[in-house]
Amino acid sequence: MDIVKWSRVKSPWVFHFNAGGCNGCDIELLAALNPKFDIERFGMILRGSPRHADVLLCTGTVTRQIRDRFKRIYDQVPEPKFVMAFGNCACSGGVFQKCYNVHEGIDKVVPVNMYVPGCPPRPQAIIDAAVKLLTALQQS
Amino acid sequence: MSWQVVAYDLFSVLIYPGIIFLVALALFYQWVDRRVYARAQNRYGPHHTGPRGLLQPLADLIKLLAKEDIEPSAVDKMIFRAAPILLLTLVFTALFMVPISGTSAIVSFEGDLIFLIFIMTLFAILAFLAGWGSTNRFSLVGGMRAALQTLGYEVPLAVSLIGPAILAGTLSVSNIVAWQAAEGFWSILLNPLGFGIAIIGIIAIIEVVPFDIPEAETEIVAGWQTEFSGRKLGLLRLAHDLELVFVSGLVVALFLGGPTGPIPLIPGIIWFIIKTVIIVFIIGFIRAQFARFRIDQMVSGSWKYLVPLSILQIIILQLYLMI
Ligand code: SF4
Repeated sequence: MDIVKWSRVKSPWVFHFNAGGCNGCDIELLAALNPKFDIERFGMILRGSPRHADVLLCTGTVTRQIRDRFKRIYDQVPEPKFVMAFGNCACSGGVFQKCYNVHEGIDKVVPVNMYVPGCPPRPQAIIDAAVKLLTALQQS
Repeated sequence: MSWQVVAYDLFSVLIYPGIIFLVALALFYQWVDRRVYARAQNRYGPHHTGPRGLLQPLADLIKLLAKEDIEPSAVDKMIFRAAPILLLTLVFTALFMVPISGTSAIVSFEGDLIFLIFIMTLFAILAFLAGWGSTNRFSLVGGMRAALQTLGYEVPLAVSLIGPAILAGTLSVSNIVAWQAAEGFWSILLNPLGFGIAIIGIIAIIEVVPFDIPEAETEIVAGWQTEFSGRKLGLLRLAHDLELVFVSGLVVALFLGGPTGPIPLIPGIIWFIIKTVIIVFIIGFIRAQFARFRIDQMVSGSWKYLVPLSILQIIILQLYLMI
């Protein structure tokens, strides 16, 4: 197997960005880091800086306020990068659909690789999504 | 010099116990550290990369080396590019003076302990330079804190490292190890206070919790490493792991008798790994138990408590030598 691809599949570092959600998804994300689900088993670490990350994990629909900042954060992640839309808000706008101040879903702003629906999704869903993303990467 | 000597020197610098061996050891210690940290938190830690997650640090390193290397337009190019390489070089230089496989290191001369203490200060200076060169407010704050933190730990650490040197009557790390082997006892027996202070000091050098003030993730993103990405970040992480090998190896050499042990049949390198893993274990455990100190607490605490204690240790040693 290609060793670079192997290393990419084995160590996806996550940067978490809240683009205007209600914080429900963020708490579920933190639950995935906790002892019960422990995504570090798969080599995923939560990093503080977008420059260190591989996977941009976004929660929340994108508000107009945050749109430009979000784009900038996206540009700061070095290639190859993946975007995961976490929660109904991030997928389609969720409960904030048709509000005057939101773009409905982050795929209106940046390209998205993986959608995780749910309001909020369970921590298992993150692991499932990560596995699917990495399998797709492995087969590419 | 005959070619055998040259070949042997090349072998010992490049392969064993030189660069390749040290890198493997560094990645292994990162794994040990992460596992201990995770187990202390009732987690498993890296588990699915290679047997029991052993290859996780290697996967991280390769991934980072193969990633895009972003250089922000505002950075000071020269410092930004040089910092990871310089840091790596410095750590290797320091590691060559620590006895790893036998009582003598690859390089040793009278006074190399002082030189090592100097190099440890340079780590912090480089962190400051890297933060400064990044021209990012978080990096800058991180770099400032790295420099400020040195003021706290440097003096007690240096004084406590000198303790074994006073006992052995020499300032060379290799000679101190040889002295302990010849006397048949470890200098931690007379130096318990110094050992404790040295552990605290090395935690501050490698910037992990509770002294990860320069990299405090919840306050200043990733401290002085914020702007580094890809290759440079990979080298920085490798340098950090090598620092872990270096500081634990130094403490083992000075306080725990270095790569020698009570059973002579077992080769020195095994003793070295056993003892350093114990040190890494202690560091990882402390990391899991504590929260971060504030920078002022760290500096004033170390001047109020650690410096007097380390001087007390020296006085005890002098009294012992006089009797
Ligand atoms: S998907 Fe639901 S839980 Fe998540 S941010 Fe939106 S409203 Fe909150």
